[in-house]
This record gives sequence, C-alpha cells and structure tokens, in this order.
Amino acid sequence: MSSEYLLEINNLTKKFPIKGGILGREIGAVKAVNNVSLKIKKGETLGLVGESGCGKTTLGRSILRLIEPTSGEIIFNGENIVNYNFAKMRDVRRKMQIIFQDPYASLNPRMTIGGILSEPMDIHKLCEGKDRRRKRLYELLDQVQLPKDALNKYPHEFSGGQRQRICIARALAVEPEFIVCDEPVSALDVSVQAQVVNLMMDLQKDLNLTYLFIAHDLKVVEYISNKVAVMYLGNIVEVASASELYGSSMHPYTKALFSAIPLPDPTKKQERIILQGDIPSPMNPPQGCHFHPRCWLASDACKGEYPENTSVPGSTTHQYRCFHPLH
Amino acid sequence: MSEKILEVKDLVVEFNTDRGPITAVSGVSFEVFKGRTLGIVGESGSGKSVSALSIMRLIPSPPGRIKSGDIIFRGESLLDIPMDDMRRIRGNKIAMIFQEPMTSLNPVFTVGNQIIEVLELHQKDLSKPERVRKGIELLKLVGIPSPQARFKEYPHQLSGGMRQRVMIAMSLACEPDILIADEPTTALDVTIQAQILDLMNKLRDELGMGIIFITHDLGVVAEMCDDVAVMYCGRIVEKSDVRSIFAHPRHPYTKGLIHSIPSYDSTSIHKKEKLPTIDGMVPSLFELPAGCSFQDRCGEVKDDCRGAKGSPKLAEVSSGHEVSCFSPLD
Repeated sequence: MSSEYLLEINNLTKKFPIKGGILGREIGAVKAVNNVSLKIKKGETLGLVGESGCGKTTLGRSILRLIEPTSGEIIFNGENIVNYNFAKMRDVRRKMQIIFQDPYASLNPRMTIGGILSEPMDIHKLCEGKDRRRKRLYELLDQVQLPKDALNKYPHEFSGGQRQRICIARALAVEPEFIVCDEPVSALDVSVQAQVVNLMMDLQKDLNLTYLFIAHDLKVVEYISNKVAVMYLGNIVEVASASELYGSSMHPYTKALFSAIPLPDPTKKQERIILQGDIPSPMNPPQGCHFHPRCWLASDACKGEYPENTSVPGSTTHQYRCFHPLH
Repeated sequence: MSEKILEVKDLVVEFNTDRGPITAVSGVSFEVFKGRTLGIVGESGSGKSVSALSIMRLIPSPPGRIKSGDIIFRGESLLDIPMDDMRRIRGNKIAMIFQEPMTSLNPVFTVGNQIIEVLELHQKDLSKPERVRKGIELLKLVGIPSPQARFKEYPHQLSGGMRQRVMIAMSLACEPDILIADEPTTALDVTIQAQILDLMNKLRDELGMGIIFITHDLGVVAEMCDDVAVMYCGRIVEKSDVRSIFAHPRHPYTKGLIHSIPSYDSTSIHKKEKLPTIDGMVPSLFELPAGCSFQDRCGEVKDDCRGAKGSPKLAEVSSGHEVSCFSPLD
C-alpha cells in the first residue's frame, strides 16, 4: 500500500492506572494521551510542543510501542502495528528509532563508541563481517561529523553535543525511515544546540528521514518542523504548518505559549499574555475544555464539553479545538 | 546613574582538582546598581555561578578559593569581614535564589517554617505571631493564592512554579539590597517562566533592589536586564547596557550567540536557511589556549589572538560598552 503519509496515528489513547487503598486496587486513570490523531508525511518533520506533563513524551514512546498504548491505531507504512507480536515489532523498530533528551544518561558508560554503534546492527544482523562493519561505523561517524578515532573511546570522553551526535549515529545505524526525537537539544548549551539542529536537518535531507520532533522550545520546533502540533493535558489542541501556527494561531493556549517566549531583542516589548495558575493535574483534569480555568476567553460552553476538532477554512493542515478561536 | 551597591573587582577564583588547579573565574569585574538588573550570560562552565557564589562567600573551600580581587558591598569589603558578620549579610542584605526550587527547599519542614527561619535569624526583634503574619504577607506578595493555607504545606505539595515563588518569598523576607538569581526559571515551563519574570520585575521596581540575573537564555536577558555581562571560560568578554549589546555586539562570541537563536519572524521560516553556528565547543578549563580563549572558534581570529600579546583585556569601545577582543567587530 502506498500512501503519502509514512505514519498515521488514529485516536491513540494511553491511560496509566492510579492504584490506591490497602489492596492496591485501581481507583482511577491518568489519560496521558487522549484520542490523539496525527499524520506525518514521508520526509517531513512534525513538531510536538507542550509544557511538562502534557503527554508529549508518552505519545512519542507509544508510537514505538515502548509504552503500550491503551487503544487506537498506529499505521506505519500502511500497516497497523498496534497488535504486532515481539518478533514482528522488532522488524518494524528497525525502521523507527528514537533519540532521547539526555545524552549523558542514554549511553552506556562501560561501552566504547564502537560497541554502542554496533549493538543495533548486531540485533538486526546488519553489515556483518569485520570489514563491512568497520566501513559502516566510519560512515556513521562521518555522517554525524565525529572523527574516526572516536570508535575506541568511551562516552565520558565526549562533551554533551558530541554525545548527542553519538546518539544520532546510533539511531542511524539501522537505516531507519522514522525517528522520534524526544527533546534532543534541550540539554545542550546554546552554541551547540544550533550545530545539532543543523546536523539533524542535513541528515533529513540526505537520508530522506521523517522526524517527530518533541520539544518545549517553540523557537527550535518552529525552525525545524513543517507542521507543528500543540499539546495540552493529553490532547492536541492545535495543528498547523509552522508558519500558520505562528502567524495566525487559533487556540488561545498556542497564542499564550508564543507570547511567553522571551525574544532576544530588547527593543521589541511584545504584548505578553501571562497565564494565571499552573497546569492542572492530569489525574483530575477540569471538565470540558481542559484549558478553560487558565483561559481569558472561557465561557460557560467551555465548561461543558471538550470542543471538537475544527478545520480552518481555506487551509489544508490547520485544525484546532476551541469554542472561541482567535481569528 | 543610580547608586552603586556592589562592586566586584578583578575576582579570581581557583579550584584544586586531581589534575591540578584550574581558574574558574579569572579577573572578573562588574557593578550592581540600585533598582537595576545585571544579566550575566554564559554557557555551562563559563564561571557565572562561581562568580555569584563568591559574592555570597559560598564557594566550597577546599577545593575552591578566592585567590585575589575584591568584593565591595556598600563600601565594605566582603572578603575581609569575619564569617559571623558575613552570616548577618547573607540572606539579609544579599539574598540568592537557585535554579532547582525542589532541591533548595527542605522537604521535611513546611513552607511557613522555612520562611520564618529567615526572619528568626535576621529579625530577632519580631515576636512569633508577627513573624507568622509577615510570612503570610510575603507569600501574598509573590502571588501565591490562599497564602494562609499554603503556609502550612510542605514543598512536595506545591508545583515547580509555586516552589520558585516560595524561594523568592524567602529571599525577600529581609528586604535585601541585592538579589542574586541563579538561573531561576531554567527548570520551569515557559508560561510559568513568564509569570516568575513578571513577578521579579514588579518586585524590583517596588522594592528598589539590585538584581544579578544569571542565565544562559538571551531571550530572558533581553526581557529582564538593564545591563549585560557575557562570560566565556571564566572571563567577561563583553559588557554593556542591554540595548547596545543586542543591537551592536562587538565580540564575535556574543554575536554568534545572538545569531544562533532561531527567530520566527515570518521571513526566516520560509527560507529554512541554516542556523548560523559557532564552530567547535567550549574548551576545557584544563586546556585553555594561550591568548584569547575563544580563538579556536572565532571567525575573525588574527595572529595577535594566539597568545603573543597575552589575553585580551576588557576595554571600552564606545561609551559604556566594553569588550575584550583584539579585533572587535565594527
């Protein structure tokens, strides 16, 4: 089956049980991801933004089934992988990889870089034979712009930015089509962030990769993504192309997020929307639209039901869930 | 210009390590004025936190020590006074808030208890009920809803933003002259960061404190600060008022930092051009090159930068704008 979308997620939900009482019975559930539907075209980047606890990491991991989703469909290359068994899933995972936020915690300190990069190829039986393997390892290091002598070194000998390059090389080792990037640059220093972002964009072009780019930094997401989804308490509240989202955001939360980012220009004092209060606990989200207690446009309608997904007229990508859109 | 309350002069801080001594801060000077915010920007390891801790005399010793230089607070050198006197200043006249509100609050005491502790130490003439009343007032001042109830709660019952507000309330308990904020919003979400920055600006104007704001986020600097000092490898490489540093950075490092931030004015989105970057990475303090520490990453590097003339000194290039570079940008 050929479709222009590499990945389609339909009504994906992940509930985590809350256990309580002496018997440890289930007394409720946290809906970390609630009925999320998304599509990613081949070779494009979908950005996923939201504040801590909104479920963006859970969503990213559910797609790889590192966290088992409760319900919904994940259609990868035209096939629903939700019910795949372990062996079949392993084949799929060769095509889908993940890069984590903390490059210090995601590399085994006792393995050399050569060992780290070889492991995924061992598992998937790729590039076997000493010469072929070595050639492939050099190729990987070259792709992420690290010197050849890195192979025999250990992770502690590298800086944060270099370690993130190693993580990227490890993800690339199995020649994936799709990579979930879970906050790949937020732990890095400012001057190094830009280097890694550029590298990821070059790799995407050269290897025709598809990214799900998860971050809380809207500036970086905006920069790297074709389409951006904004998440709040387990729900996608707005999806749009990167330029539409910034230029004409429909959801008040998106607008507030943008206005909260301090701009590196002291002459531009932007009109700032300061949201009152904190993000509500996902264990007990507010009735109706989850955002209504912090929203300055909230009316009685918002307290009743969660608004349906609405498309912006005249746009193919722009959708939002709000009773009081801004435009 | 308003009244100068703090002056740091040629501060040098060294740490002993297994591989020999390293100089974390080498020859840093800056001033803090009443009612103004000084931003200290730099990447990890640039010495910004060590400079701040030196002002509080909180450098762990050993292994660290202030090797030379002076810190003058209201005409008095903080490095000469005995520790007992320093304790009277610390938390009272100069207060500090840290990046991680969770680790800087004691989990086994209530929030109220911890605020009162500050008052017990520094305002001994207050009676107990007066302290409680003042504690609740402080929580109200920093915008915590239902302060009376929150006063009796433990840190784990509060969200990250609330905890940072409690930290600010504690630091303001004695109406300090100077507030040192070490990355106070780095651990917070952007919408909460906006609340905290707004609060700090408001309190500065109301109470007329001088603030030293340490951060790596140039956006926050542009938003918060009046003056900026950019640090690199233990030195201040550029110092100026906030407008001229953003409009006209003279040090290649500052310029690189400002340009490596993706901006989203509509033009840049459509172009999808590469982000300008600074090549390479911050050198290890053990292997600093002779001469300018930035030479290996600098696009403008000249022979002079390689050590023949020593390290560049901070010098004024235009009124109030200082830069330490042998060939400053035009």
